[in-house]
Amino acid sequence: MKNELKEYASGFKLTHLFMILGALLIGASIIAQAFLTVEIVNKVFVNKTSFEEIVPFLISLLLVLMLRPFLSYLMGRAGVTMAASVKQRLRQALFDKFSREALLTSHQGQSGQKVSVILDAVDEIDAYYSKYIPQVFKTAVIPIFILMAVSTQHIETGLIMMVTAPFIPLFYIIIGIRTQKKSEEKIEQMTVFSGRFLDTIQGLTTLNLFQKSKKYRAIIEESSLNYRDATIEVLKVAFVSSLMLELISMLSIGIIALEIGLRLIVFNSMSFATAFFLLILAPEFYLSLKELGSAFHTGRGSMSAMRKISEELRRENEEVRWGDCLIRSEEPPKITLKNVSYQYSDSQFALSSVNFKIEPYSKTAIIGRSGSGKSTLLNIIAGLLPPQQGEITINDDPLTSIKEESWFSQISYISQSPYLFTGTIAENICIGSKNVSQAEMEEAAEKAGISAFVASLEEGYETIIGESGRGLSGGEKQRMALARAFLKKPTVILFDEPTTGLDLYTEKVLQTALNSLSENATMIIVAHRLHTIRKADHIIVVDQGKVMTEGTDNSLYESSELYRQMVSAQAEEVIL
Amino acid sequence: MKELAFVWREMLTEKKDILLSILFGFIAGITAVALFASSGYLISKAALSLPVFALAILTAVVKFFGLARAVGRYYERIYSHRATFSILSNMRVSFYKKLEPIAAGLSQRYRSGELLGRIVGDIDRLQHFYLRVFYPPIVFILIFLVTIWFTLFFSIEIACLMLVGVFFTGIVIPGYFAWRIRNRDQTVRTLRGEFAADSAEFFDGYRELKIMREIENKKKKLEKKSNKTLVAESKTGKGEVFHQAINSFTSLFVTWCVIGIGSYLVTSGELNGLFLAMLVLISLTSFENAVPMAIVPAYLQDSVVASKRLSSVKGEARNDVQKKVDLPKEQPFCLAANQVTFSYPGEVRKALNHVTVHIPAGGKTAIVGPSGSGKSTLLQLFLKFYESSGLEMNGDSVLTLSQETVWEATNVVLQQNHFFSGSIRDNLKLAGETLTDEQLINSLHVVHLEHLSLNYNVQEKGANLSGGEKQRLAIARALLKGSRVWMLDEPTSSVDLLTERAILNHLFDQAKEDTLLLVSHRLNNLEKMDQIIVMDSGEIVESGTYKELMARKGYFYQMREIEKSILF
Repeated sequence: MKNELKEYASGFKLTHLFMILGALLIGASIIAQAFLTVEIVNKVFVNKTSFEEIVPFLISLLLVLMLRPFLSYLMGRAGVTMAASVKQRLRQALFDKFSREALLTSHQGQSGQKVSVILDAVDEIDAYYSKYIPQVFKTAVIPIFILMAVSTQHIETGLIMMVTAPFIPLFYIIIGIRTQKKSEEKIEQMTVFSGRFLDTIQGLTTLNLFQKSKKYRAIIEESSLNYRDATIEVLKVAFVSSLMLELISMLSIGIIALEIGLRLIVFNSMSFATAFFLLILAPEFYLSLKELGSAFHTGRGSMSAMRKISEELRRENEEVRWGDCLIRSEEPPKITLKNVSYQYSDSQFALSSVNFKIEPYSKTAIIGRSGSGKSTLLNIIAGLLPPQQGEITINDDPLTSIKEESWFSQISYISQSPYLFTGTIAENICIGSKNVSQAEMEEAAEKAGISAFVASLEEGYETIIGESGRGLSGGEKQRMALARAFLKKPTVILFDEPTTGLDLYTEKVLQTALNSLSENATMIIVAHRLHTIRKADHIIVVDQGKVMTEGTDNSLYESSELYRQMVSAQAEEVIL
Repeated sequence: MKELAFVWREMLTEKKDILLSILFGFIAGITAVALFASSGYLISKAALSLPVFALAILTAVVKFFGLARAVGRYYERIYSHRATFSILSNMRVSFYKKLEPIAAGLSQRYRSGELLGRIVGDIDRLQHFYLRVFYPPIVFILIFLVTIWFTLFFSIEIACLMLVGVFFTGIVIPGYFAWRIRNRDQTVRTLRGEFAADSAEFFDGYRELKIMREIENKKKKLEKKSNKTLVAESKTGKGEVFHQAINSFTSLFVTWCVIGIGSYLVTSGELNGLFLAMLVLISLTSFENAVPMAIVPAYLQDSVVASKRLSSVKGEARNDVQKKVDLPKEQPFCLAANQVTFSYPGEVRKALNHVTVHIPAGGKTAIVGPSGSGKSTLLQLFLKFYESSGLEMNGDSVLTLSQETVWEATNVVLQQNHFFSGSIRDNLKLAGETLTDEQLINSLHVVHLEHLSLNYNVQEKGANLSGGEKQRLAIARALLKGSRVWMLDEPTSSVDLLTERAILNHLFDQAKEDTLLLVSHRLNNLEKMDQIIVMDSGEIVESGTYKELMARKGYFYQMREIEKSILF
């Protein structure tokens, strides 16, 4: 596969230019440093000059020495900046993608995974830009510089370097990559292992209740020690390969040293200065070759993280399409579904050819067994899921021609478990309504039966709720959602009626609140309660993704066997 | 630093591996210095011309040092990793011990999965403490002590110079940067935490955000927050780069001083010029050992944060049980709560408010109420998941009973029951090692799980079982345990009505003589209970038998009417 990290980096031409320049200068400064050091030592040791004579050399050496860390610092900085900017761009792309997406059922329960892509995976690509790229530039330039400098001084040493150098990357390829794969596998196993540890401590309550926790403690100890020994065995192979690498570079340096020594003494064909110069540069040469290996390792982690991100970015997107028309009327619209079909990509379930009309101010109950498709239907009407075939019209205009903003300003959706955001109670009620006065907000809370509860709190409407705030019971959450609806004054209310777990007070509030909300709005309810169904003007019976029949309670009781069965389900329960 | 005390303790049990890794680390480092020192000496000597055999010896020495260095590094790696893994294992075991008594309370809490996940992650992080924080400085200091001692034979001035260099690169500079990242790290962590929480809200509240037309706002806010986090993070990143540059400049500067002072000493005749090249090379190579010192502050900070978080994991302070009282094992006993008022740790809201309940030995009591009414809390208090006064078992205050005593004397089914990866048999045998296959199969029949074989492989957390299957398996496990007091927290909420009735009937049969406390979210199937307690907002609203409550037409009756009207 192609390297997308590189593609993102290609936008930074100037940074690249700067890095090439930096690497060249670092290379030059390494040579200059070696040269000056040798000159100084040579002058005082061999030529026996006075100290004054070497002072200019010392000053130049200091300047050169300062240059190297300074350039490394600038290159590192440029890398960090580049990383931050790529990361921000990726996050923006991810959020763009996610915010256009239709309400997918796959969102549910997977928010942790998505957050980890946005946070952790994006962070993992940091090393590629902040460490790998600067290192690659350095490694590409420095050995060549050294090789050139060495060759001008003494071509034979240059030749030895040229012959031995390929062994290091070669060795990396032969042994390194294989063991790397193995050790990556081990690291994966380690994750699995700490997963098992997690499994055990999560089950600790159960173990405690059966007095088995001591036994499992011993198992944990034993298996983590076994794991240790197995890992060490694999690591040994990796360590041996780096031992070999070290030996190769040591051996090469040794050969160079031997050659220098022979020339110095036996053949007397080399000066002390040249010999010292070569001796300082030889390890630098092999060191920067070895560093490429470790930089390569750093880059690998980023690659797999990038793969995760682009998978997310490339995933087929299901988008709800919108237009530019505004809904002008203040009155509730007429809603019509024509041949609407929808199928989830990851399951067999399909909603097929749904047709019905919803009149303004009517109360429509959608009923059906669990899994019959009634919630999907509600989400399609809400404009949260796009029908794959057919269309929805609002006052005879297709929903796809209407402006998103305009449609969503008309509707309220009260789900079984309304989501509360971290923030004050007041902020949570006002979300989605603009320019609201305190009095209006409190009136909505009053109507939703939440005001007495709020009054009992020390900080009243300023109490922080949500994830990191005060927890609310199911009933209180339900009433918060009602307060939102009272404030928004929608013309269409979509309501997923809760099944169990509500307190009696909320149940009562729910009945009166829905009655008063329905005075000014069309109600579409996924209904579970018998009296809600009975009171509806229009009942739509859904089964296995199809509208089986529709009508009023009376007409359906007469005409539909399925409806009679459903409504009498409670009779069976009583007999039980 | 005291946060690291427990890491310290677990580490010191691995003395042998620690000593070996320090020894080999030292050998690897010192031989590298020796290698370059001897080659510097070699060429200087060669410049003055010397016999060939001396050259041969010197070259052999150089080779030997090269080999010793590579081998030393190899063993250093092996022993340091061995030590790391052993320490990791010790920490796991010791943390497991620490969690044993408080696990129950933790696991009932909201998002406990995340909490435990973080604990495991933090323990994994602490493996870096030894590998990156603890032993590299020791090796670093040892190498320098020896190097400086060696240098002393040639020049006191240069030795002092190197000592100053070590002081700066090894202590002052890392210390300064450790101090600097402390605050910045805190900011980054907070920003990241906020960004993560906000991103989670984006997904969890997606529907609300869309309909409230807030999605664009939220997106912009998130982008802003991401940018703010990135700015802070890149500041840290730049700080790290700066730190490395300063460290490497300092060591190069020391080398420069060695060259300068060395040259001066040579020209003034105080130092033999023969040793100058050697001393320069010593200084150049020995400061290479200072490189790992640059990453010490970051890892130290990381370890401190991780272990701080680990030591903050505590249950509430537990009264040590003063005089140990036992509960009868062979016969049922009574339970009572007298005016119990309780709030969960860290919460103001009262989960229970003046609750008084009496359950005689052999009595069957159900607690019902809406979600959040406190019905499970009472059961958790009896099981000593949390500490509270006012509760009695067999006439003794639960404060005088140990957790183990209570757990041994009860058959418990919780809302979340854990299953381990392994066979159904393994999971059921938690109830007793000596149970026969026949007994196990029999219990599966009772809970209508006859389609599962004892060898069926259960995945971690029972991932391959449905919610209803898990509940029924938990009931089977409790049936096998055979204690005489039952604590059941919504044991059949995911089971259909018919099966629920059959299972409860069997359970009531087996528990005919036993004490039974059942928390139920459903109101049907409760006709056989002696007593039904109705709760709302932490208070008891009414109580009585099913018949009495239905006749009274109060809270229970109305809830029952609503339940009846719910069709699907």
